[in-house]
Amino acid sequence: MKTESLIRALVADTAIDRRPVVILTGGLLAALVGTVFFIWVTLGFRDDLTAALANPVSSLRFVLTGSLALVAGRLALLLSRPAGEARARLWPLLVVLAVALAAVLWAGRTTPPGGLLMAVVGKTAGACLISIVLLSVVPVAVILATLRHGATTAPVLAGRLAGLCGGGLAAMAYALHCTEDTPLFYVTWYGLAILAVTVISGLVGARLLRW
Amino acid sequence: MPVDDWAELLAAANAGDSRAYERFLLTVTPVLRGIVMARGRSLGQASCEDVVQDVLLAIHLKRHTWTEGAPVRPWLYAITRYKVIDAFRARGRQIDLPIDDFLTDLMADAGPDPTDASDMAKLIGMLGERPAAIVRMIGVEGATVAETGQTLQMSDGAVRVALHRALKALAALRARHVE
Repeated sequence: MKTESLIRALVADTAIDRRPVVILTGGLLAALVGTVFFIWVTLGFRDDLTAALANPVSSLRFVLTGSLALVAGRLALLLSRPAGEARARLWPLLVVLAVALAAVLWAGRTTPPGGLLMAVVGKTAGACLISIVLLSVVPVAVILATLRHGATTAPVLAGRLAGLCGGGLAAMAYALHCTEDTPLFYVTWYGLAILAVTVISGLVGARLLRW
Repeated sequence: MPVDDWAELLAAANAGDSRAYERFLLTVTPVLRGIVMARGRSLGQASCEDVVQDVLLAIHLKRHTWTEGAPVRPWLYAITRYKVIDAFRARGRQIDLPIDDFLTDLMADAGPDPTDASDMAKLIGMLGERPAAIVRMIGVEGATVAETGQTLQMSDGAVRVALHRALKALAALRARHVE
């Protein structure tokens, strides 16, 4: 087939897809509302949620996971376009990480040495890991679908950012249920869960995001 | 052709102006061909044209990822680079493609008929009977959507939907080909 013939066929096709940002915003809002509703129905919100929100050490969880999701989501959107990685600045992710580590250090110093290990391990580490990983499946799928719909030229990085964003959202939603208020616990276990999601999503992205 | 014209044409095209779109594709094709030929002369002319057609198909299906107001060239070259690397991977070669090399435009010499390629015809043959007929009628025979609809007894809307799906299917077939 001649190239001019192909061009004639392309020109006749006037259907154009929606921009990635439209799909991502709609999809993620729906996923977040769905996830929060799911937690409310299954695990239930913690009883002292309003009091916990007023406690800065506890509500820092929402700030950290929320800002992680926001930053990673923006970056993923940037990467949904060809050559987006050339304009992606990853350092804001490090800021979030630095704040999380600072919170851990602060908590480490204010917790009596004898209780450190107990504070890190907590009571619900296993449930926390499993819940966050499972809850992240839908948001990550939404972001990966958006990226697939776009045209990323850095599939692995885009997949990892999808994992960071989806994992962050899942952790933020899970925090509505979780009563472990020390950064020693939540930075460790939320962090590990998000890290696992990020690695898996990067592997999935490498295969799924080719076009 | 100045850079601004590409952005103007593509913006008009994405807003639904098919004449602007045709001009855009016809304008960028020789540039794309130059890049592909410069990188892949060892593949032979027909294979190069296959890659050019791949790139055109990708530009078409991903044109919504260009942001109006953003420069067209980096976007276009990123797609080209991605598809050229794909083509080499499919043929088991390793190449290095620094994107800076694309910043100088390389126009290909027009050979006897350098625009004929074989792969796309094969892939069209792998589509269903009706989608293949639609792509051939509109592309090769130059029929309009309306004429195609009349011949195949379909509404204009149905022809358009089928054409869009056929082009997506071609890209997907190609991707599977490559893997």
